[in-house]
Amino acid sequence: MNFAKLAPWLTLAGRLVLGGVLVVAGYLKVGNTAKSQMAVRAYEVLPISIANLLGEILPWLEIGAGLLLILGVAVKWSSIFAAALMFIFIAAIVQAWARGLSIDCGCFGGGGQVAAGKTRYLEEILRDLGLAITALYLIRYPLGRFSIERSSAK
Amino acid sequence: MAKQGGDKITRYIVIGMVALVVIVGVFFSMNSGSKKSALPVAGESANGYAISFNSDLKGAPVVDIWEDFQCPVCQRFEGTNGAWLQQQIAAKKIKVSFHLLSFLGPESILMANAAACAADENKFLELHNLMYANQSAKENSGFWTPDILTKAGTAAGITSPAFAACVKEGKYLGWVQKVADDGAKKNVNSTPTLFVNGKELNRQTQYYDPKAFEAVVLANGK
Repeated sequence: MNFAKLAPWLTLAGRLVLGGVLVVAGYLKVGNTAKSQMAVRAYEVLPISIANLLGEILPWLEIGAGLLLILGVAVKWSSIFAAALMFIFIAAIVQAWARGLSIDCGCFGGGGQVAAGKTRYLEEILRDLGLAITALYLIRYPLGRFSIERSSAK
Repeated sequence: MAKQGGDKITRYIVIGMVALVVIVGVFFSMNSGSKKSALPVAGESANGYAISFNSDLKGAPVVDIWEDFQCPVCQRFEGTNGAWLQQQIAAKKIKVSFHLLSFLGPESILMANAAACAADENKFLELHNLMYANQSAKENSGFWTPDILTKAGTAAGITSPAFAACVKEGKYLGWVQKVADDGAKKNVNSTPTLFVNGKELNRQTQYYDPKAFEAVVLANGK
């Protein structure tokens, strides 16, 4: 397999997956800000007022970065943002797990405290790790098929 | 590198549009709760917009309940301690404030609004009990509509046409948002959440054991 030929298609696939996940994750949260604020608070890391602010802003940032990735504009910077986001999410989930909190990650809406046996930390971490790796690939190879950024370059 | 040129303008237009979506979205999220809203009779702002009973009692234990009418665990709490709490309210032994959260979705919001409308008619507890007794197995199943809530009100003994109008027009939707904002400020991350004299109870030992619950409530009187 010729990697040079494959790379742009992998980039396209990565953009659609990462961008799609971000847009969906953001979209599911914006309709219920009270819940997304609760999700951030439940990690018990940030002061309450900042957690509440983040619960309002973060879903829209996810949508913004996701749109840019899907459209293929500022792919590198969007990917850097997405990678940073995923590593922060992973760190947040790991600390919740380590401290014995019982919360839902609130990744796709939902969130807050759950019953002690109902946590799914490992699954959540692995998913975010997969997305982080996708983002890292896009940082390295941001120019792929069907992106606005590349439309004039042949 | 991609060649720059006309392509660059498209790029900036797209970035600008996406940035606009983000900024407008954040703006509306942050301002959704700031609208002026009517307050139900019992839902005074002094007590975090809660529907309160026996506020005027002196030295009685103060119970704060944060609940969502669609939450199955709240129904369980209600089944465990609800009847006792309401006896204590009727006997003027304790103060109880109901904080109606609505993060489980649109039907929670409708139900919280209807409960506030019922509070104006002095039938809050009646409708409260009726809604728990008829909780849907699945959240937001489409069962709780303004129409059904109006009928539930009638079943709870409300006859005034003002109630039907209040439910239909969503008179207290702004208030429902204010309660949610208040819960966010007070770091309430789950329903039900119980406070007695301002201290959060232990979810593992004090919520679903009626003896333990009654003991901790009564121990907090003066």
